[in-house]
Parts: sequence; structure tokens; C-alpha cells
Amino acid sequence: MSNQYVNEPMLDLFIFESMQLLEQMEHLIISNEKSSSYASDAINEIFRIMHTIKGSSAMMLYNNISTLAHSMEDLFFVLREDKPQNVDYSELSDLVLEGLDFIKVEIAKIRNGDEADGNASDLIESLRFFYETIRGQEFNSIDQTIGGVIPSENRKPDKQQYYISKVRTETTSNRNTFEATLRFEEDCGMENLRVFGVVNDLGDLAEEYYHIPEDLDKEDSARVIKEQGFTLFLTTERSLDEIHTALIQTIYLKNLQLTQVENSESLNERHKERQILLEDYSVKVPTVCCPNRVDNEPEGKELHSTATQQSIISVSVAKLDQLMDLVGEMVIAEAMVTQNPDLKGLELNNFDKAARQLRKITGELQDTVMSVRMVPLAGTFQKMNRTLRDMCKKLNKEVQLQLIGEETEVDKNIIEHISDPLMHLIRNSIDHGLEMPDEREQLGKLRLGTIVLEAKNSGGDVLIIIRDDGEGFNKDRILAKAREKGLIQGPEDEITDKEIYNFVFLPGFSTNESVTEFSGRGVGMDVVVKNIEAVGGSISADSIPGRGTTITLKIPLTLAIIDGMNIKVGDSRYTIPTTAIKESFSPKMTEVIVDPDDNEMMMVRGQCYPILRLHDIYHVHTEVTQFTDGIIIMVEQDNKTLCIFADELIGQQQVVVKALPTYIKNTSKVIGLAGCTLLGDGSISLILDIAGLISFRRSA
Amino acid sequence: MKKLLIVDDAAFMRLAIRNMLQKHEIEIVGEAANGAIGVEMYKQLLPDVVTMDITMPEMTGIKALKAIKAFDPQAKVIMVSAMGQEGMVKEAIINGAKTFIVKPFKEEFLYQTICKVLGI
Amino acid sequence: MADNGEVESQQEEVEDTQKGKFLTFCLGTEFYGIEIKYVTEIIGLQPITEIPEMPEYIKGIINLRGKLIPLMDVRLRFKKPFREYNDRTCIVVIDIKEIPIGLIVDSVSEVIAIPEEEIVAPPTMTKEGNKYIKGIGKVGTDVKLLLDSDKLLTETDFDNLR
Repeated sequence: MSNQYVNEPMLDLFIFESMQLLEQMEHLIISNEKSSSYASDAINEIFRIMHTIKGSSAMMLYNNISTLAHSMEDLFFVLREDKPQNVDYSELSDLVLEGLDFIKVEIAKIRNGDEADGNASDLIESLRFFYETIRGQEFNSIDQTIGGVIPSENRKPDKQQYYISKVRTETTSNRNTFEATLRFEEDCGMENLRVFGVVNDLGDLAEEYYHIPEDLDKEDSARVIKEQGFTLFLTTERSLDEIHTALIQTIYLKNLQLTQVENSESLNERHKERQILLEDYSVKVPTVCCPNRVDNEPEGKELHSTATQQSIISVSVAKLDQLMDLVGEMVIAEAMVTQNPDLKGLELNNFDKAARQLRKITGELQDTVMSVRMVPLAGTFQKMNRTLRDMCKKLNKEVQLQLIGEETEVDKNIIEHISDPLMHLIRNSIDHGLEMPDEREQLGKLRLGTIVLEAKNSGGDVLIIIRDDGEGFNKDRILAKAREKGLIQGPEDEITDKEIYNFVFLPGFSTNESVTEFSGRGVGMDVVVKNIEAVGGSISADSIPGRGTTITLKIPLTLAIIDGMNIKVGDSRYTIPTTAIKESFSPKMTEVIVDPDDNEMMMVRGQCYPILRLHDIYHVHTEVTQFTDGIIIMVEQDNKTLCIFADELIGQQQVVVKALPTYIKNTSKVIGLAGCTLLGDGSISLILDIAGLISFRRSA
Repeated sequence: MKKLLIVDDAAFMRLAIRNMLQKHEIEIVGEAANGAIGVEMYKQLLPDVVTMDITMPEMTGIKALKAIKAFDPQAKVIMVSAMGQEGMVKEAIINGAKTFIVKPFKEEFLYQTICKVLGI
Repeated sequence: MADNGEVESQQEEVEDTQKGKFLTFCLGTEFYGIEIKYVTEIIGLQPITEIPEMPEYIKGIINLRGKLIPLMDVRLRFKKPFREYNDRTCIVVIDIKEIPIGLIVDSVSEVIAIPEEEIVAPPTMTKEGNKYIKGIGKVGTDVKLLLDSDKLLTETDFDNLR
């Protein structure tokens, strides 16, 4: 692109604003599609959105987007103005969504730095066809005007009018007749409208005038003016100088020739054949094709919008990330000061007081910064409407989406990772879970299936629940497949139903015989799990055969800073997220049991839990190998409990989660490590991934 | 330096116009996202020239133009229109808009138009 | 834009002045060289935090002013016998394709420029360390084994993993 004024921020803004508008539009289309027609507010809004996108994409020289937007704008113009009756709104929605998708894809390409090279001509053709259908036979009589494939707003040509001033004096000695020829600069464009300005300004100056070309609304009038100039004849009381001064001010005027002409008779003669309309007072306003509805809005509403404009600003995510990093660094630095080994053993009352105050403020700052990054799930949930709509249409199923708790907030970084998994789970639900409407009726269920998408807070996590009222999981088939793939450990009769259902999350697992376009064969679920785990979350499933399936996603509120308990094993340090800790205690030998496979277990209040020796699995040298010398920390995740054996507890603190270095991650994945953090004394502590440790222990 | 007020509901267009004029001797004294705010800002800032988008929510460009002209008959307003809005451009001209430019426009064209309107 | 152009040519200049310059270090009696453009700093030994389940040549990670750097013992990488660390032992921190890593070496020597003509292809012997050698540089009467940094980072020795 040779636009020298286009820069990064502009491109970012173009992408951001356009995507925002497209989302609004998608929402409007889907919610309106359900009724048999579109609300007039919605039509107007969609019209405006397409108009805006047409303009900005043209400015950015993305002409394929601009042309498509133009066609869609025209379509909605007709819907707004003519309010045609014979519209197939279902087809309209499909068409419009297709157009919307095209633009989204092009913008995605632009965002990635690729060429926006999509071809929308087929789509534009379809739009044109649809347009023709709803306009009926009136279409052919309209001339095409500038720009779009479909004639635009100026469809109704104005009636030809000649403007004559109110004072029609028959005799006065001061009447002059002038002939003016105006030529415009090359490329000024819309010459016919430029002269319209001229003519309009003449209103008070001249008593009579006419011009060549006469009809400024005619399609080629601009071209005629460009080639032959604009000739104006006028009679007026004003002098040559005055007329000259008035005309010379015309913008983009290249050349003005003004001469006085002899008599006014010739002027009248030329008028004879034409129809003259006598006007009373002011110049008549030409019929405007787009009367603005908004004229009726009361003043109060306009002022209100002024106020709300100021209360929100948009901030670049990069800045927020930076802020977050800095706060993280500060938390570490604060710990390095207040827990400095130099201060060990010293009695420093004033220092302690000040340190506490510092801690308090750091904590508040941290909370505030994190809250800035929190974004409600509403946006993500709303996007699911589109997925639902498309799936239902393609599979002829009838399903509604119910959203609960969409105001629940989650860190911005995490939101991005949730969208795709959710989409896949909903697709799965509709594809495999929900029955065809007829079948549902036969089963005594409502024809309309329901998927409930719910979000709620739970401790340091957010739970996202996808619940459908379909046919549920087929336990036997899952078990058979698991058996086939050798995924079953331990005796089969000891496996709970819930465990069976959760087999579907294992990689490569799928009981679907056919690969559907949407769900794929075992690939999708694997990706869902990976995505969720990538943000430190977990996924589980439950089902009631015949009644439905519930998938639960547990996502941490934020990735960056957690509350952790630091523990010591030999010279190594580990940190356990406090949200996972149930209790800790010094074990007694009487509570320890060893089973025939040498697995050590702990009895706590009548329940038996597996023990994990950290020094053992991580081959850490430590003096503390006897249970009675060390400490047990009981942790729980997903209703599974584990007893971790370590040397001692060091202390609890807020830790900033840092990822393991890339090289380490690339070399191999270490079970049970979620990341690391820097402790107050500068040493590194490895953050334990409780879920990972639990599954490791169970398979040991 | 001459002062310019930009009135356009698309943040993108406001930025585009701002960028186009950054190396010229034109000071952007304000940006308004709808006609109503545009009118208020005009009254407060009294710019030398205004670029006014025709199609806006809340208060259209035409209405805002009328309001500004009512407040200041000498106001110089340049209408920013899209292709195919001839009717509205005409109405704007009748209501006192100095001239118009059509999207998409190039930087030079915008600047020239502003210069001509300001007589510089 | 003029500004970008300037920055770019400046960067090229910096790179040019680094071309052909190698940081040399030694392991026992052999001298190795690594292109200086990859070296971010050289530090003394620091407390290492072990990471479990890593190949034995990955000693762990260190905290370098808040940044976590993994450490590779080059001797072990080249399947040479391990030598206890002493106060001459250094960590050469390199950064390749945005992946930082610290190389533990016996000691660090100097930075020398080795012109292209003095570099020959490595002999194809089956000795372990050779797959990481990109070329052999002649400096006077000595030879320096020039490392292929990419390979150092990406080649995984499967038998080394536990």
C-alpha cells in the first residue's frame, strides 16, 4: 500500500473498530432472525455498520471489503426505505452472515500481515439477485449511479426544477445579463455537485438563471461539465464585479469566464420551451432520499450520550501486560526486601510495621491491576450464539442457548483460550448429544433442546459449565473403546461411571464412527483439553444416560500471581498453590499403610489417601526420609486427594508465576511442574502442578 | 495555525484524518464522535474549519451542520460523504456547507480542500 | 520511512562488526568458539536450581536478575567426563532465536576474529562432540572448534534422557 499516512495504530484501529462493528452486527442478525422480520432499529443499525465499514475499508484501500459492504449497505437501505413485504428473512440472514464472514476472514488476513485477496464477486452477485427479488420489477428502471453494483441512495431522481427568485420585477434599468463559463480542476470529482453549490449560492444574487448542462442529476452531467465546462446564464441587478467575486470563490474552480451579454430577451427565449416552476420564498429543498429517523429524538437523549462517552477509555492490551509484569516484579522485589536473609533474626518493630504497610499497598495495587485485566465472559458466550445457529441450521436440529452468569469475569489472557474449546464443546453437544426434534418428541422431551452455558466463581477459579438435555454419553461404548485402546488401569468393576465419562478426554479417543465436518474424529476433544490445560485449567464430564451431559471447565482466575505455600525438600524449594491445600500435619507412623505393591498410603479420619514422596519422584537428596521427621501436605484437585511428603513448610506468600524457560519446556515436559517463581532470598522455587502429581501418583 | 474540528462516528476515520494532516500546518483542536458533541465542541473551541461526516447516529451531519450554522453563520464546514450520497450532499450545500469530499479520499485532496475553504 | 531505514542500517552495522568474531572457551585441552553475536553475557557460577527429569547435561536453572536461564554443561553435552566446578568455571549466556541458555564451561578465553578463509569444514568423525561443530578455525598454530549453536540447542540425545 502506498498510503504514506497509514501506520500501525491506524491499522490496529481499523481492525479493532471493524471487528467490533461486525460482532454487533452478527448479534443483531442472529437475534432478529428468530422473529419473522427484522426490527427497524436493527435494519438501520446494520445499514450504518456496513456504511462505516465501507468507508474505512475504502480509505485503507481494501476495495474488496468496501465493495461488498457497499452492496450490503444498499440492500439494507432498500429494506429500510421500502419496507418490502416479500422478504425471505432466513435467506437474508444466511446471505448477510456469509458477507460478514467474508469480511471477518479478510480482516483476519490483514491482522496476520497477509494480503486481503478474497474475491467476493459471487457473493455480491447473490446479494444483487436477492436485491432484485425484493425490489421486483422496479429495479430495471433505475440508472446506476456512482460506485456500487446496486444503485445507491440517490435512486429517485429529483424533479427538474429551475430556481427563480421571489422578486420578479419586470422592468428595471439595472438588470444585467451575464454569461459565465466555469471550468473545474482536473480530478476534483463530482463536478455536478460542485456546480450545485455554485447555483445554490446564486440564489439571492440572480433573478433568473439557467445553466448548461441543465440537468445536474443526470449521470453524465459531471462528465459533461468536466469536458465542456459549466455555462451559466443569469440576469441580475448586481454588477459584473459582484458576480465575478461571488463566482471566483467556487472551490476547485480552475477557470472563470464572465461576460456581459446584450439583452435579456435571449434569456427568455431559451426559457420558453422549458417548464418553469414559480417558487414562493426560499429555495425548495430537493427531495432527499434518506430522511433521518433520528430527527425525532428528543434533546435529552443526545446529551446523555455525551456524558457516557467520557467514562470509558480503551487501552492497548500490551500496556496492560506491561503493567501486570511490573506489578509482578514489584511483588518479588517487595518479598526480597521484607524477607531478606540479612534481616533474619533481627527484631525490627518499626521496619515490620512499615513492611506490613508496604505489603498491604502492594496487595491492593496487585488486585486493582488484575481487576483491570478482568473481562466478563459475556462476549465469549455471545459468540456461541452464532455457532449454535449455524450448527442447528446445518443439522436441522432445534436448540436454544441459555446463558447464566455471563457477567462473571476472567483475565483477558485466558478469555482467548476459552473461545475455541467452548465452540467445540457446543458443536459436539449439538452434533452428538442432542437428538433430532422428532426423536425428542417421541422420547417425551421438548422438541426444542436446551444447552445451558453457565459461569460462576468458585474459590480462585471460574467454573464454566456446558449442560445439555440430550441423550447423554453411552457408557458402554466409551468403556469398550477405552478397553480397546488399553486406557484402562486397574480392575474394571472398580471404575466409577464418572471416570468412564472422563475417558473421552484422553487423546485419540472418539466413539463416533463417522467423521463429521464439525467434530472430527477424536481430534477436537484433545485440542479442547490442551487449550484448557494451557491456561492451568481442568475439564471433567458427567452424564445421565437419556437425560443429558454436563461438561465442566475449571479455569484459574488469573495466571500470573497466586497464593502459594513454600516447602523445602533437601536443598530444593517447591511451591504449592494454597487453593489446593486442604491441611498439613506431621504424620504418625500408625497412620501410614503400605499396600502389597509398595504403595504408601495415609489414613486420615477413616479415609485412605495415596502418599507422594517428593524427594523420591524428583530424585532430590534430603536427610528427611522418615515420615515422622517431615511433614504431610494434603492437597486436593477435582475431588481427588493426595498427601505430599516434604521436609518442612517454609511459609506462605504471594508468588509470581513464571513459566519454565523455553529450552526446558522444549526438552521435555516434567510431570507435576507448573512453573517456577523467585523467592524472597533470590532462590528459585518450582511450582507444583497438583493435578499432574495426582494423576502421576495414580498411575504409578 | 488554523484550527480544525473533526466530527465522525468512526474512530478510524478520525484517526485517518488526523494522520493525513499531521505534517501540515493544521491543528486538530478536537474530535467528536457524534453530531451533538460536534456542535457543543464547535461552540467551545470555535475552530476555523470543520470536517463533518454525513451519516452519524444520535445527530446526523446535516442536523449538526444546521445547528453550527445557526450558532455561527460564518462557520466553514466540509462534509465528508460516501459514494452515492448525492442527495444528502446537496441538502448539506443548501444548508451552508462550504464543500464536500467523498470517501475514499487521499491526503492531498483533503488538505487542498481545507486550504481552499480557508482561503490559504 | 526514513527513521526505520536508519535503524535498520545501524543494526546491520552492529551485526557486521560482530561477524567473524568468536568467543573462545575451553574444555580440558580443546578450544571452542561460538559466534559473539549469540553471546549476551559471561558470568561466574551461581546457585543452580535443579529441574527433575532432565537429561544429565541440563543442570538446572539460575536466577539472572529476575530472568530464569537454563544451564547446559557443555562437557556432558559432548559426552566428555564431568569435571567439578571451580572458581574458573564460567557460564556463557547465549541467546539463539529468543531462547536463552547458559553454557557451563571450564573457562573462558578471549574474543578473536577469524576470517572466512581460515575456517575449514569439520572432519567427519564419529566422535560425539563433532555433530555440534560447524567448522574449524585456524588461529596461528592453534585450532578452535567452532560451534553450531542451532544444533547445540535443538539436537536431542535420546539416550541421554532418563
